[in-house]
Amino acid sequence: MLLICTSIISAACVQPVKLKGEGYVLIRSNYPILYFNGEQIEPAYRLDIEAGENTVVIVYNTYQHDYYCTFSWTAVANAVYEVTDQENQYPLTLYRWVRTNSLWASRLDPVDPLDCIEQEKGGELI
Amino acid sequence: MFIIRKIVLVSTINAVVTPALQADVLPGVSALSETIVRESAIAFVNTTASPGLEGATLSVNDGAREQWRSSLGFAAEFTLKDYIFNGYWGLALVGGSLNDKFELTGDDGQLVQFDLTRDVVALRGSFGLSFPVNQYLKIRPYLSLSVSDLQTEILVDGLLTTGPIENTTTTAVFNTKAQMLSTIGSVEALYSRWYGDNRLELSAHYHLIHTDSFSEDNPVLQTKALNDVFQLKSTFSGPTGLTSIGRPWRWLAYANHTNFLSQDKFSLGYTSLFEFGVGMEWRMNIKPLDWFGWQMLGLRAGVITSKDVEGFNVGLTGR
Repeated sequence: MLLICTSIISAACVQPVKLKGEGYVLIRSNYPILYFNGEQIEPAYRLDIEAGENTVVIVYNTYQHDYYCTFSWTAVANAVYEVTDQENQYPLTLYRWVRTNSLWASRLDPVDPLDCIEQEKGGELI
Repeated sequence: MFIIRKIVLVSTINAVVTPALQADVLPGVSALSETIVRESAIAFVNTTASPGLEGATLSVNDGAREQWRSSLGFAAEFTLKDYIFNGYWGLALVGGSLNDKFELTGDDGQLVQFDLTRDVVALRGSFGLSFPVNQYLKIRPYLSLSVSDLQTEILVDGLLTTGPIENTTTTAVFNTKAQMLSTIGSVEALYSRWYGDNRLELSAHYHLIHTDSFSEDNPVLQTKALNDVFQLKSTFSGPTGLTSIGRPWRWLAYANHTNFLSQDKFSLGYTSLFEFGVGMEWRMNIKPLDWFGWQMLGLRAGVITSKDVEGFNVGLTGR
């Protein structure tokens, strides 16, 4: 019984991510993605993008400053990437997200942003 | 000549309190006041189950008091999209024990020896917010509810009983239980900064604890109390070059200070602690249930000291 319950619960936990299609990549972020490959977009928390060299700008908001962090990396087909704040050297870090099993996922291959531009609150990225 | 008869009374302290001696916890030992009993019980729970405390084994007053505490818990932030602030939650299961041997002079001048053992198990849940002031500084207010089950056994040696010919001393054992509901308001300021691959973390913590104590067998512990705790913590960490399963290990050194601000020294024999130690952290960086990040698993060893306390802390930590 315990095994069945555990299986049901765990199956409902970490699910494989459905991608848009073969060769696509999903990037999801805890903070809004503002620019994709140089183009300003509607603020988004997840994007389906094509594999290959990509660049995104994500804003990390604080009460004193906004930090516009630029990530440029080679996205591997059918992979999932995740951007989050983990109090690393930069406000945000990009990880490759991998479903390990039903109970947990792993954050691998950390990528620091090329830079994080600090702006006064209310300012805009130029 | 005294005839010492050993008797065991599994009863309550109140059972031996006569109506005329309501101010006394134990008849014939007026030095043991209700205040001492209440404050020492609540101080024990607070020094075991308050947020921000980690495991410890303490020896107070040259071994007259021995106390340990241990906890298994986890706390994490979660993102609230479209808001600058994040959410914060935590859960912890805490256990601790105290053995306290002390002597008081009875009302008839005889020496009364006490051997007290307290055990507590507590479950604590926390919920709050985390406000990033800038890249380096966060302010985190949160509220915790803690439910504690406290069991106390007191062995008293030297109580006088009046006999037909002469007074005799007896040994008695009293067992009591109490349940405590603590509501804790906390504010933390957390600062962290990187210097190359090394990281400095500083934090200040203030906890205001309101305790409601309930006891069916000891009216002295049917009470309320307000206490506060202040902590300063600092950690410096750096890379080791070691990896396990592709994940890096970091070394760390830490220094913490805890001050139980409103605690009287007579309650447990101390009011503040300093802790210094070293450890290793393994940056495993997983995401349980794909819900919250679990960055590291660490092993720490430290010494605890103050004017009245010596002790140590060896344990696992998670973040």
